[in-house]
Amino acid sequence: MALLSRVADRMYWAARYVERAEDSARVLRSYGDVLADLPISTSRWHPLVTISGSDVHLPAVAESDEAQVAQFLISDREHPNSIVNSVDNSRENLRTCREVLPREAWQTINDLSIYVRGAAVTSVERRRRDRFLARVIDESRRLDGVLTSTMTRDEVFEMWRLGRYIERADMTTRVLGVRAAGLLSQPEGSVDEFAEVQWMGVLRSLSALQMYQRATRGPIDGPAVVRFLLFDHRFPRSVAGCLAEMRTSILRLPEYSTVLGAIEAADRQLRQSRPAADDGAALDAAMESVQMALARLDAVMHEQYVVH
Amino acid sequence: MEADGSPRPIARELIDLIHRIGLEEVRERQRVSDLDILTMGISFTVYSDGENIDRAWPFDIVPRLIDGAEWSVVELGLAQRLRALNRFIDDVYNDQEIIADGIFPADLLEDSANYRPECRGVRPKFGVWAHISGSDLVRAGDGQLYVLEDNLRVPSGVSYVLENRGVAKRAFPELFQQHLIRPVDGYTDELNKLLASLAPEGRTDPTIVVLTPGIFNSAYFEHSFLAQRMGAELVEGQDLVVGDDDCVYMRTIQGLERVDVVYRRIDDLFIDPEAFNPDSMLGVAGLMRAWKAGNVGIANAPGAGVADDKCVYAWVPDMIRYYLGEEPLIPNVPTYRCMYDEERDFVLANIGELVLKPANESGGYGIVIGSRATPEELETAAAAVRADPRNWVAQPILDLSTAPTLVDEGIEPRHLDLRPFILTGEHSYVTAGGLTRVALTKGSLVVNSSQGGGSKDTWVVDGPLDGAATAPNGTQTNSQMQNQANG
Repeated sequence: MALLSRVADRMYWAARYVERAEDSARVLRSYGDVLADLPISTSRWHPLVTISGSDVHLPAVAESDEAQVAQFLISDREHPNSIVNSVDNSRENLRTCREVLPREAWQTINDLSIYVRGAAVTSVERRRRDRFLARVIDESRRLDGVLTSTMTRDEVFEMWRLGRYIERADMTTRVLGVRAAGLLSQPEGSVDEFAEVQWMGVLRSLSALQMYQRATRGPIDGPAVVRFLLFDHRFPRSVAGCLAEMRTSILRLPEYSTVLGAIEAADRQLRQSRPAADDGAALDAAMESVQMALARLDAVMHEQYVVH
Repeated sequence: MEADGSPRPIARELIDLIHRIGLEEVRERQRVSDLDILTMGISFTVYSDGENIDRAWPFDIVPRLIDGAEWSVVELGLAQRLRALNRFIDDVYNDQEIIADGIFPADLLEDSANYRPECRGVRPKFGVWAHISGSDLVRAGDGQLYVLEDNLRVPSGVSYVLENRGVAKRAFPELFQQHLIRPVDGYTDELNKLLASLAPEGRTDPTIVVLTPGIFNSAYFEHSFLAQRMGAELVEGQDLVVGDDDCVYMRTIQGLERVDVVYRRIDDLFIDPEAFNPDSMLGVAGLMRAWKAGNVGIANAPGAGVADDKCVYAWVPDMIRYYLGEEPLIPNVPTYRCMYDEERDFVLANIGELVLKPANESGGYGIVIGSRATPEELETAAAAVRADPRNWVAQPILDLSTAPTLVDEGIEPRHLDLRPFILTGEHSYVTAGGLTRVALTKGSLVVNSSQGGGSKDTWVVDGPLDGAATAPNGTQTNSQMQNQANG
């Protein structure tokens, strides 16, 4: 049966929102972990606000305050990308397409939403935060698991995958654009004894540490980390990997040629960023260009499948 | 309860079980059920403080029991009633024989708020207009089930019948092992078959859609549930378009795709801005055109609500006799029609013992309960009846039956009603039981979930009814079994 445009749109956004919640949880979790290993003087929380990509920015003072940044990212209802809003947005989108979903999938997002609404405010506090974030990550993965193991590989499923991977690719570029670029930009000759810890943090925030080590079998090296997260298409959170998954999905949808073109364009943009892997300012700019290519891809899909 | 205070046999097992496990365990099972409902997202939407809130569905764990033999008669009675009602609707939009034969007054039809002149001359398949209906039944003090009203437009609640059963099975698994409780799960399959049968001629493997007003509608959960169970598309007005060829299409990622059957859950005044309310944002312009051209089946057919009217209700027993030549198997609540002098005189003389209902209101508006009204209110009501007798009917105040219900005070009797769902097409189908709604406040008769009412799973139980009398063939007669019926 053909897929309603409206349902396609809502599936896609449900996937994007739950991925956003999961990714934010992972970034926040790993960042808190890294900062615990650093001297207090170097603790800076504002990069997380930048990564969240929100238009609503905290006042400068608040950006250095852990509790306020955590509150902003977890439970702030005024912040459109807060975890509590992302989960609720995902649930609301899925609520309007329950008829095409396996029932357990709806229950998983509903469960998560009930949990997040109840626990978000009290989970800002550091002691409870980790468990909360771990649960958000787990439930989001469970949702993927339910869909992957019980859903027919139809157009609904491909819309879900497209939403997941475009959001994931976007998050990887934002983590690299902010944190990796920041690390690479440290003045020549200054030996940062904590650099390794921080690069590990970058990898952890994308669940990539172990796979990076397996792939490179070498020490943690900034430019190598960047190249891994951008180009190792075998790693499912790398930008190249996400684009490859999107290509697979789009070929299973009708009339895909313009969308495929937009994926190829994003891929070209990605390849152009290769020389930027060891230069902070260049990397920041390159990531912005990839993000713009992803935004164009989003617009082309909307044009092709929703408004047409 | 029996006259001597002992529980009726059909209920014995349940009462024994509750005694055995104790009130605390019953409460624990209730908590588990509430949690089930919350995590499964079984909800209904209420409008309050300017916001639409998605609320967990209220469910009372103690089931309502109905004897299988009694129910078999009720099933026949409901199918009979809907056959006659559909004959009536088809008749009033076509030949109007019932009026020509002097059985039904012509002016009553013209005054009916739900009569749609736009539907004159349409002949839907099988002569059926009200395909899906939910008649409300009440059991009065005499033990008899009565039809209180017929909901022929967009009756809701059936999804909760199915969901309540799922929850009840987990709450009382031991009883499901011991009793033959008639399953309810077949409904969506029957509905799917019925809707498919409404497709235009020659359309094989028809595309069926459920048309919802959207997420803010109080029954959205049900619309989604039914679409999911039938594998149909859940659409909003904006998803559909009627082409120049008078066919209905839905907007898909591949462009337009033909739709054969629309199960509409939108009131008929809103389904087509071209034919009815031009300001409707919910409907589909041209849907009536497509339907009249025979290019799409619509359930329930526009105009079916003409028979869903408190005044028309009084004629249903006559319709059954007129169209089917049968006697009604389930009685109406006696209804006095104030348009007739003799009945009006009776109403005015006995106004303190009657319920007065305006014919063209719904949702309980304008109802006057004689025994609870002040003398001034009764005088106002009497004046209203005299001024516009055609707009009023009156019924005796019913002593509604109760069933044991878990409340703060323990397990106590609470008033309830019952809404079975009836499918009518080429054949008829009636749910086993239906949606039991219960007033959770002591003495209250308000069962609406939006006003603090609850729901129960309804068990139509076939023998053995009593743990002691296990003879599979059953030595009890029908009438004995009916006397033992609970709820």
